[in-house]
Amino acid sequence: MSKQAMSKPGSPQAASHQQAFDEPLWWGLFSAGGVCFAVLLPAVILFIGVLLPLGLLPADALSYERATALLFSVPGFLFVGAVVCLPLFHAAHRLRHGLFDISVGRDGFNKKLMYGAAALLSMLALGLVVAGMLS
Amino acid sequence: MNKTSSQRLPPLKRNWWLKHRFFKLYMLREATVLPLVFFLLCLMAGMVALVQGADSWQGWVGFMGSPVVLALNLLALAASLYHAATFFVLFPRVMPLRIAGRSLPDNMIVAGQWAGVVVVALLFFWLLGRA
Repeated sequence: MSKQAMSKPGSPQAASHQQAFDEPLWWGLFSAGGVCFAVLLPAVILFIGVLLPLGLLPADALSYERATALLFSVPGFLFVGAVVCLPLFHAAHRLRHGLFDISVGRDGFNKKLMYGAAALLSMLALGLVVAGMLS
Repeated sequence: MNKTSSQRLPPLKRNWWLKHRFFKLYMLREATVLPLVFFLLCLMAGMVALVQGADSWQGWVGFMGSPVVLALNLLALAASLYHAATFFVLFPRVMPLRIAGRSLPDNMIVAGQWAGVVVVALLFFWLLGRA
């Protein structure tokens, strides 16, 4: 649908030049995010989303001091890239195509909305790590 | 994916995927990202709390323990495992591995990826689980 909007009337060659050069990027991010979602997220959700709030981790495992030291570091920056940013792009891609599957909205708009939100949240997440490292 | 197919085919009804088990499972797989996004937003809220200070961090741990949040994150855990089960079987189809001229059996590639999940979990246990 975004491709329709791109074609200019009066240019007969427009139809043959509607290659979407950005799609490999989105599929690449989707794929990389899918690997992270499958391999890393089960453990992350289990330990941080379930065991930590249930009090099943040792008391000082993620105390404020320990969590700060772990997250606000170079490994912490890479952790956020793999556990937050790439899965966000994976989710954005699935949501975009899912919305197309159930005929909600226009794909051209959904695409900008989803990848835009993933990019903004990714920058915010990485920015938080940098802010924590600097403070 | 060709998004202009609606020009040539009659438009599908919104509930087309409810008519067959295969398509329902496809939609379930697509929906695994909904609880994932919830967990990621929770995680980012935790990062904000960590930047703010010790009190905010304790408040965030309490928020994560509230019943609705905990239930949604348990759903996210289940969704991540379902996603993993559907994603791992794609690997040998997209990128068949060959070692010394012999192609690696599909189930070995899938098992290797599940081993990766276990290794990451053990890494977390080593980092966070010991008293």
